[in-house]
Amino acid sequence: MSEVLLRIDDLVTTYGKIEALRGVSLEVRQGSITCLLGPNGAGKTTLMFTAAGILRPQRGSIRLAGEEIAGRAPHAIVARGIALVPENRLVFPGMSVRENLQAGAYARTDGVEIERDMERLFERFPRLQERASQPAGTLSGGEQQMLAVARALMSRPKLLLMDEPSLGLAPLVVEEIFRIVRALHAEGVTIFLVEQNAHMALQIAEHFYLMEQGKVTFSGNPGSLAEDEVVRRAYLGSTA
Amino acid sequence: MDFAQNTLDGLTSGAAYALLAVGFTLIFGTLRRANLAYGACILFGVYIATWVAQRSDAGLATLALVAVAACVLAGAYVERLCFAPHRERRGNQVASGAGIAAMVASFALWMQFEEAATLLLPRHMYAFPALYEGAPLALGPLSLRVEAIVLFAATACLLAVLWLVLQRSRFGVAVRALIDDPLAAGLCGIPVARVFALVFALASAIGGIAGFLVVAAHGQVTPHLGMWATLKGMLAMMIGGLGSLPGAVLGGFLLGLLESHSQWYLGPQSRDLIAYLLLFTLLALRPGGLASWMTRWTSTRSAS
Repeated sequence: MSEVLLRIDDLVTTYGKIEALRGVSLEVRQGSITCLLGPNGAGKTTLMFTAAGILRPQRGSIRLAGEEIAGRAPHAIVARGIALVPENRLVFPGMSVRENLQAGAYARTDGVEIERDMERLFERFPRLQERASQPAGTLSGGEQQMLAVARALMSRPKLLLMDEPSLGLAPLVVEEIFRIVRALHAEGVTIFLVEQNAHMALQIAEHFYLMEQGKVTFSGNPGSLAEDEVVRRAYLGSTA
Repeated sequence: MDFAQNTLDGLTSGAAYALLAVGFTLIFGTLRRANLAYGACILFGVYIATWVAQRSDAGLATLALVAVAACVLAGAYVERLCFAPHRERRGNQVASGAGIAAMVASFALWMQFEEAATLLLPRHMYAFPALYEGAPLALGPLSLRVEAIVLFAATACLLAVLWLVLQRSRFGVAVRALIDDPLAAGLCGIPVARVFALVFALASAIGGIAGFLVVAAHGQVTPHLGMWATLKGMLAMMIGGLGSLPGAVLGGFLLGLLESHSQWYLGPQSRDLIAYLLLFTLLALRPGGLASWMTRWTSTRSAS
């Protein structure tokens, strides 16, 4: 067994009086693809935002390679090695593709290496290279998703968080995004993925968690629970 | 000939409006919040410079530096008190009325600065060392004030430098990222709070220069400067389109031209009426201001 890269313990995050996370504990192992499944409103995006520092937890701990990061500011968390590809991509629409990638490398100061990483990402995503000087707002949804992934990789993360990368994309584009996720995994990037598309997620995940109403209700390997049961609970919750 | 002379005058006041609008837009674009104390900071900076001028024989360059420094300090005070506590970064910790609270707080500081300035220099008007003492240049039938050329040239240089900084530097990438999407900027590792404080300082410095140029061009200072700067800056920003820097520049010049022409053809009392009429028409027909004609990417943003 490889060692644990991310360990979340008894995490509680609230919006005012509403508890969106009600004591979540989970772990992501070094080099793995771990998936988080669950119906809408289960708290998946809240968990991602809390891990990335956008939201401050009420209590609980988030450790990256042993170091406590809960409650730190987003830029400090990026500097420690977590990058989030947010839901709906959130590329900078008025900036060119190249400038989006430069923004992604903001925490780094090794100028030469940044250029080299950018060239490497352009080789991996030729469509982004073709559009390098175009405003990101003019890209298609799939291209924006690739840009969001590339932008996150520019920070050289130890852990890549992805929130619903297939959201709103055509099936062929979704296939392509998942091919990219697999390739990144093969290169040794640790990936923690939130996904509505349970069928897709179970194909690539080594380990998955099921979240319902702010709590982890199941944890296991694909195959440890019948797929139709996972799919049902991921979409509808166990009470349905 | 009247038309040409009015256009010349309009471009001159338009240059000052453009600077004020750019300062407003930098703050509004990065934070999506109006800083009502912006004009008051400029008033404060210029008053400190006037106070220094009364007590010493400091040259114009020194006075400009004093005005800018005092304006930046006043801006930092506003940022710490009104905007830093209400930043949106931790969405779940900020009360929903934070935007209003910040605006009202900045209004309170506006009053504070005006009081401080009039306590410092209580008379209704003070002389300020003039940019140029000589007679206007005559270009055939047109007269061109040398102060106007200085104001115009300084504005052009400042805007060019600002454009270069925003387009070419690492800091510029961070600022534009913040304007486009503050949430994603944080996720990229951009220290949002620090960049915002720097933007505030930059906007205050631009305001300080604008204030200095205006009072030095007129050779006098009155306590109305703060109100004037806030109104003209906001008006030009809204005409240009909230949050757009090219829009702010264009809005400033358009406002200046409109004012000088309507003052000549329709009389001085109609000047502000026409300016607000333009704003009203534009907001009714094109809520995005002039900028909505210039940028098309905003509409493709959510398409997939």
